[in-house]
Amino acid sequence: MHISKSKLEDLMHSRGFSLKELLRQAQVSKTAYYHLLYKDTVLPKSIHSLSNVLNVRPSAFLEEMTPEEKKIRQIAKRTDQIMTENPGLDRENVRHTLILLQEEPVTRLRRGLIRGR
Amino acid sequence: MEDKSIFSDKEIKFLKELVKHKVRFMIVGLSAAALQGAPVVTQDIDLWFKDLSDTEIKKSLKKVNATLVPSVGLNPPMFAGKHVELFDIVLNMHGLDKFEEEVKNTIKIPLDNVYVRVLKLERIIKSKQALGREKDKIVLPVLKDALLTIEKERK
Repeated sequence: MHISKSKLEDLMHSRGFSLKELLRQAQVSKTAYYHLLYKDTVLPKSIHSLSNVLNVRPSAFLEEMTPEEKKIRQIAKRTDQIMTENPGLDRENVRHTLILLQEEPVTRLRRGLIRGR
Repeated sequence: MEDKSIFSDKEIKFLKELVKHKVRFMIVGLSAAALQGAPVVTQDIDLWFKDLSDTEIKKSLKKVNATLVPSVGLNPPMFAGKHVELFDIVLNMHGLDKFEEEVKNTIKIPLDNVYVRVLKLERIIKSKQALGREKDKIVLPVLKDALLTIEKERK
């Protein structure tokens, strides 16, 4: 699996990004970008080894993270950061607050009321 | 999926009417804390009014087919009506300054296209500390942890 330059550029332009801005927001250096772009495969060797033995394409066993999973992973990471800086806090309180901060205020209130009743 | 059966459009309509009628009020207590992101549970929404005799309150209530029941015995004044059952009236906040002062310690939070004044979490904590009831002591650590987390996220 390699990066399709044309597909990436189409996506970039349709979302109004210049390459410079895309790389800046993604925090990817120009060197890293071009390195990836000209690689035959962006997957680690071990993935190809597994797929060769199984005689399937790597995509047969690769799964993209769902937005929900991404969100929870980010929250978990942020919880760890806050807990490291403030070890006296209760981890559950921090995690639940971070989850609620991603919701609209009205949803936060509804959750509190539903549980309360 | 979010359950909208509680704090539905009908309850929000009452708040909208209060804002529309320029009634001076703010949401306080644990519902205010919940709106700001504190993971707390509550049974009601406390509304602190600057002046409960403000005639605009009655006009707002009328719009949602509700009324104001004055204080009976030791009970505080209450709202009567299907769409206002969730709301409790607060006449003063323990440990805090008067309404006019505390209004400076509020933030405006959008609730379905209407901005409502909500007492800041740090002031809710102060009030709970002053009250010192068992149920306040239980919730205080959660509120304090939430405040610190929210402050970290603001930075």
